[in-house]
Amino acid sequence: MVGIGNRGFCVKKVAVPAGRPYLQKNYQLLMSAVLTIDRLTKFYGPIKALDEVSFEVPRGSVFGILGPNGSGKTTLLGIVMDIIKASSGGFRFFGHEAGAADRRQMGTLLETPNFYHYLSGERNLRIAAEIKGKGMGDIDAVLKKVNLYERRKSKFSTYSLGMKQRLAIASCLLGDPEVLVFDEPTNGLDPAGIAEIRELMKRLYAEGKTIIMASHILDEVEKVCTHVAIIQKGVLKRVDTVDRVLAGSQGAGQRIEIAAEGNMDRLQQVVGKLAGVVSVQAEEGLLVVDCATSLSPGDLNRHCFDNGLVLTRLSARRQSLESTFLELTGKVSER
Amino acid sequence: MLHLLKIEWLKMKNYRAFWIFTIFYVVSIFLLNYIAWTIHQRTIEQVPGSSMILGNPFAYPGIWGTVGWMNSWLLYFPGLMMILLMTNEFNFKTHRQNIIDGLSRNQFITVKLVLALIMAVIITIINVLTAFYFASISPGTFTTDGMENIFYIFLQSVAYIFFALMLAVLFRRSGVAIIVLFLYGLIFEWVITATLTFKFQLAPAGYFLPLEASDVLLPFPFEKKVFYPNAPAAGVLIAVIAAYIIAYVFFARKRFLRDDL
Repeated sequence: MVGIGNRGFCVKKVAVPAGRPYLQKNYQLLMSAVLTIDRLTKFYGPIKALDEVSFEVPRGSVFGILGPNGSGKTTLLGIVMDIIKASSGGFRFFGHEAGAADRRQMGTLLETPNFYHYLSGERNLRIAAEIKGKGMGDIDAVLKKVNLYERRKSKFSTYSLGMKQRLAIASCLLGDPEVLVFDEPTNGLDPAGIAEIRELMKRLYAEGKTIIMASHILDEVEKVCTHVAIIQKGVLKRVDTVDRVLAGSQGAGQRIEIAAEGNMDRLQQVVGKLAGVVSVQAEEGLLVVDCATSLSPGDLNRHCFDNGLVLTRLSARRQSLESTFLELTGKVSER
Repeated sequence: MLHLLKIEWLKMKNYRAFWIFTIFYVVSIFLLNYIAWTIHQRTIEQVPGSSMILGNPFAYPGIWGTVGWMNSWLLYFPGLMMILLMTNEFNFKTHRQNIIDGLSRNQFITVKLVLALIMAVIITIINVLTAFYFASISPGTFTTDGMENIFYIFLQSVAYIFFALMLAVLFRRSGVAIIVLFLYGLIFEWVITATLTFKFQLAPAGYFLPLEASDVLLPFPFEKKVFYPNAPAAGVLIAVIAAYIIAYVFFARKRFLRDDL
């Protein structure tokens, strides 16, 4: 049992193998998808917040909805939760028309933690459990999971932002739902809290739950999600597994970062002569070498050494979700 | 529905403002009648002949109408409470969270309407008990004359509380809704009615305003003809009140079922 900090959660750390094999769990796509979204469109007056967005969330996945601020993520989730009425299009849960009963089988955190300010954390959870019709006995357990048990009798209005967020997450866990929907779950949490959320999601995923997560924090999505849908200005840009998104963007080559003592221009010249190198670009304090996959970092190292250059830095640069995301959506935040 | 009401009770039972208002209201019902009764006693003692002219509004059958009229001043308490309960949901955005957690929109608004009805029933019962008490300490014997006023009390309570609920759904903010309730109920409606009735001689038009209609059903117990010239028959007023109540319900439901929350 590992508790990280005294302000984060107390969660049993799951032993995961190195790398991300836990993400390669077998699952059947299209087997009665948890959520099917069909050409959802939403107008706020003249503004088109969602434009014929369609995708499916497979059972057992951790599905990330990525988008800049103002892209329509929260509108999308709001429609699915019946908070907002779509202008056109529809959605289905588990293959059937969605209703209140489906929402009772899910745990959802949408935009902000919404609770009664004059009631304690415990009493607020009691109301949530009553509405769901289950989870009455879970209240103490979920409060302990999010490390709010000591403050359970304090009024919600006295909670800090992080505590409010954690109470919202606790509410999602009531009744052990099969599907969880999180809109910016790490909002307001300190680094310890963010790490704990990540651990929690991994555990839930290992238990076979389906998680739908809207976020603009690419690092989190990359680390946790199995699938991603990228949305900008209400338009779905790409929906695929995270692995395919990361693999595809690199093309057939690889990127290696190098740096050496002294003259970087000489290094650039030397490296440029090596067979298999496509291009060499200078960035702050280092060179980014695009080359064929047949060339290993070791070959590059040997080549430089043979030419009298000692490398101080040599690392393979993994194409990150961030660069793919910025490529797809442009580099400017939406209003 | 019982389950939904249980959820509403969980929201209310630890809300301090709810208890303060409830206690104030119940005490006020009794106190207001007590003050009026005392004044009436004094008036009779000092001017013995007046009992002939005034009758005894605290004995049967007038007691029902008297208590009812007193109550119409106090209905702003439960109206206020209804506004607070509803606007709290908007302020805390729990109206969204309740839906997200698994209530349907229909369930959410319906239970609020049922809650308002239950409040009206309880108010009526409290007023009936108060009436029994004051009638018992006044001369006269029990008679069922005037008991239709019990129904009018119920109707008036429903009208006021549903009106308050509609204001809460319309404005979504407690401050604005409360100010409108009080300003309209205590000042503007009276001004409009008086203008229509006395200045423009357009009675009974003025009596068909939302709150006024139920006020006329339970008139000032002392001088009816002077204050309410050409008042329409009770049946007409009841129909008007019922129409208003249906309109409030229709509006509140439509707002809730169709719009973005």
